[in-house]
Amino acid sequence: MEHILEVQNIHTFIGQYHILQGVDVRVPKGSITALLGRNGAGKTTTLKSILGLTPPREGKVIFEGREVRGMKSFDIAAQGIGFVPEHRAIFRDLTVEENLKIAERVKGEYLRKRDFIFNLFPDLSRLIALSGASLSGGQQQMLAIARALVADNRLLLIDEPSEGLAPVIIEHMMAAIRQLSQDSTVVLVEQNFLVASQLAENYVIIEEGHSVKAGAMKDLVNDKATIHRYLGAA
Amino acid sequence: MNTFLRKNLVLTITLSVIVGLFAAAAQGMESKDFVITLLRGLSVGSLTFLVASGFSLIFGLLDVLNLAHGTLFMIGAYIGWTVFVRPDTFVDLLTPFILTVSGFALRDVYPLLSDRIRLGLRMRRILPWALILVSVILFSVILPRYPISIWSVENYGQSPVTFAFMADQATRLPTVNAAFEEIAAPLALGGLLLASLIGAFGISLLGQTVQSASRISWKNLVGFILLLIVAGLTFIFNESLTGFLLGINSNWLFLISVLVAVACGVGLGALMEATLIRPLYSRPIYQLMLTLGMSAIGIEMVRAVWGRPEFVMPKPALFNGSGDSCPAVTFADWWNHHCSTILLLDGRVRIYNEIFIPIIGLIVLISIWILLQRTRLGMIIRAGVQDREMVEALGINVQRVFTMVFALGVGLAALGGALAAPSMGLSNGMGESLFLNALIALAIGGLTNYPGAALGSVLVGLIQQFIIKYGQIGIAIPFTDIVFKPTPPLVPASTVLMMVIILLILPNGLLGKKE
Repeated sequence: MEHILEVQNIHTFIGQYHILQGVDVRVPKGSITALLGRNGAGKTTTLKSILGLTPPREGKVIFEGREVRGMKSFDIAAQGIGFVPEHRAIFRDLTVEENLKIAERVKGEYLRKRDFIFNLFPDLSRLIALSGASLSGGQQQMLAIARALVADNRLLLIDEPSEGLAPVIIEHMMAAIRQLSQDSTVVLVEQNFLVASQLAENYVIIEEGHSVKAGAMKDLVNDKATIHRYLGAA
Repeated sequence: MNTFLRKNLVLTITLSVIVGLFAAAAQGMESKDFVITLLRGLSVGSLTFLVASGFSLIFGLLDVLNLAHGTLFMIGAYIGWTVFVRPDTFVDLLTPFILTVSGFALRDVYPLLSDRIRLGLRMRRILPWALILVSVILFSVILPRYPISIWSVENYGQSPVTFAFMADQATRLPTVNAAFEEIAAPLALGGLLLASLIGAFGISLLGQTVQSASRISWKNLVGFILLLIVAGLTFIFNESLTGFLLGINSNWLFLISVLVAVACGVGLGALMEATLIRPLYSRPIYQLMLTLGMSAIGIEMVRAVWGRPEFVMPKPALFNGSGDSCPAVTFADWWNHHCSTILLLDGRVRIYNEIFIPIIGLIVLISIWILLQRTRLGMIIRAGVQDREMVEALGINVQRVFTMVFALGVGLAALGGALAAPSMGLSNGMGESLFLNALIALAIGGLTNYPGAALGSVLVGLIQQFIIKYGQIGIAIPFTDIVFKPTPPLVPASTVLMMVIILLILPNGLLGKKE
């Protein structure tokens, strides 16, 4: 199977804390992979380490066959990786349209992708002139995902897409992620196991900075012991 | 509109009180005095704004409090003065300056070169510093021997004070052409180029990351060759260029000196950010110490080169006319006779200080606003103020935007300095007082709010000028015979007092947002 992203044994420090102590993630092309684990296990740090926002000190990060560890964050992202961070990080002082336009890496990308994005998130098209600050949580999440879709990204890193959203909106979000995963590969951090298990085809469990288990989601769903041991949920 | 008023009730009331105060101030003086004071306030406000806006852009995006901003304003003024009063010195400096920077134009070539060199780890660590040391030694041997016609700080007859005075009288002191005596010309030029190449290579080795660029862009080479050609031309045509600058209309010369000052400010800003500020992003206290120290160093360097005494910069001819037909009555009249003053409501208004500077201030205000709101760079700046990491994660080189914004901020300060020189005069302390004004203006307007910087600057300028004016004419206290005359120390005190009152009511300043 072809892997679009291979993370091999990365070690990341934040300040003096050794947060990631050997994480391996293999992401097959065209799939949705969920990073699972308890709070503080290092899931978000793994995403940020892939992008170089918290640069790993050791290990390899290979994207589309190319070692990207050691490159600057913006260079890594420009290889074709979109990032949807925790708490969305919408630019509050920019309008919705500007929030999308700023993600352009080639001039005119926004205009080309506009129909695709508004087809995915019809709500956004009527909010276009509003400032990012005036959006609701669900709208911000949609905008954050839409922003990652403007540039030509083959890989999307999505952190906690369902966090703080109402169930109806989570449904909508899941449908959108499923739809966009037809064109790009998705790595997703998700606390809500129900959401993760319905979306993802593969999983990696991270526990105290180590990747402890990985495999196909359909196997994990029936493995109550593993779920109980690492995720604490039933 | 109604909700806007309700949301900003405190702000609306505060602003109405301020407007009311100025209206009350107008009652106490003749209308011509009021107009002049108003214009003077706008003039001081504009200069304050040029310093404050740059400072606030830098602080907003980079989180760097650049305490050297006032000093950079002053340096802008001295550079503008030098080009305007001593074009010969300026032209002499061009060739060595261009040669010094030309090495950096080849920055894409150095990584290739360093890939060729196979060295041990220890040598790799020593090599850049060794190269930089060699380059510094070369520079320090050649530059002092490079002939540049300059003034003398010790000899009054040849001092900047005298040159400035004579230039103001429209007669220029004869200067001695500098000639190569201590060092042969080819040796000096070649040495400077070599020193620049070695130094730039050393610096590029220092900053190199794991991944190095592996192709030479043609732009790089073309830029380098163009720089060499320009350096050669300025060297060969040194005297005719000097003659040309001395011969042209002083309005054009003034424009050139302002542009050179801004260009130097932009370059200095980019250099400062790339070399000194960048390693200290995670250490705010060190940044404060660094910029404070640089401010002191800047002032001492200006003292060493231009001396301690204050001197003037002549106004360009457009604003310097006098004679029978002056002061002008209408603007058309002014245009024909280039009068330095114009009569507005029978009051004499100085055109350069009180009309030209506020207009430039307004133009800068609008252009920066357009830059921020209508361009991609502005969009990135506004986004970066809020969340740098996310901008980076979109694939945008935030570091480069930081350098650009720092350069822009310093360029604005230098523009302010060069514009202020003819109206304020030049002194070692001119930056500090204006910087203090700018800080107060930012506290009043909201620290990182761009319109707030403009509003705060104008308020600071206005209140100072009104206090000065009332210091002359006195305020009649109602129902008594007492006439209160504010003393000069009240001028700076009044702005601080206004800041305290406004911050008590609106802790984030007038237009600042709640964190």
